[in-house]
Amino acid sequence: MKTLLNLSVAAMLLAGGAFLYADDDEHEEHENYRSSRVAQPVTPQEKATVALYTKECGACHMAYQPQFLPKRSWDKTMNTLDNHFSTDATLAPADHKTIQNYLATHASKNDRMSDMKGAVALRISETPYFVREHREVTKKMVTQPEVKSFANCNACHTQATNGSYREREIRIPNYGRWE
Amino acid sequence: MKYLAIVSFFSMSLMAASPEVVQYMNELSKTAKVENSSFNGFDAVRGKEIFTSTHTGKQGKPMSCTSCHTVNLANSGKNSLTGKVIDPLSPRANPQRLTSTKEVTKWLKRNFMDVYAREGSAQEKGDVLTYIMKN
Repeated sequence: MKTLLNLSVAAMLLAGGAFLYADDDEHEEHENYRSSRVAQPVTPQEKATVALYTKECGACHMAYQPQFLPKRSWDKTMNTLDNHFSTDATLAPADHKTIQNYLATHASKNDRMSDMKGAVALRISETPYFVREHREVTKKMVTQPEVKSFANCNACHTQATNGSYREREIRIPNYGRWE
Repeated sequence: MKYLAIVSFFSMSLMAASPEVVQYMNELSKTAKVENSSFNGFDAVRGKEIFTSTHTGKQGKPMSCTSCHTVNLANSGKNSLTGKVIDPLSPRANPQRLTSTKEVTKWLKRNFMDVYAREGSAQEKGDVLTYIMKN
């Protein structure tokens, strides 16, 4: 009986796994973002690192989840902070090192730039995945003052700062839900 | 002695900066004197001019500290590029301001680069900090 129970549990797990896998094609990336919340560190040291990242990078814009770009993008960003989208975003050397390591550790394992003809994306919005996911979003929705640009994830993704980008959480200012 | 303590406490609150930032300004003052023998202390009027005047910044466009911080330092500002809200600069409106030398030096360097496309001199930094303290 016990064996049977184990078998049925295993079968359920397998079925569930197969279902999740089938779902992955469309939503794999979303699942990744949800499980990789910047705001959910574990050890005290991680907490301190995330707090530093959120404070320093979040001073001027949303502290984007590191999983949105591969390591080589983050390295390029961190190596050009003296001219970061035309502003000086330089950090104290120790903080710079901590943040660069944090980004490298949590960067996307997928390169995400296969269609970019060798270019290294600095903007998340340049990556083919982002472009595809936002292809139906009109220019007017993005450039309106309440949003300003694609850089402001949290203008529409209401849980973006928590690392969640589910469709049902979307509220586009002056347009509403995305469904 | 008690009188002295009260006076020093009073002058501290007038300064509206933490002891470490006051110490940093003393160092700026020494450097300013070395760089300019006629230097005779920081000046909030000069600081206001630094803060409110328009220059060709890092982006090659007209830029002023007030582009993001607004002219009223007790009010919140807004990052002119991203739209992110910036807490008030005035230490009276925002007690977190001018409490950390690390923060102060970081932002002075960045923002002089953004607005003036160069770093500020010791005198300019002290002047603008003096202006911020008095607002």
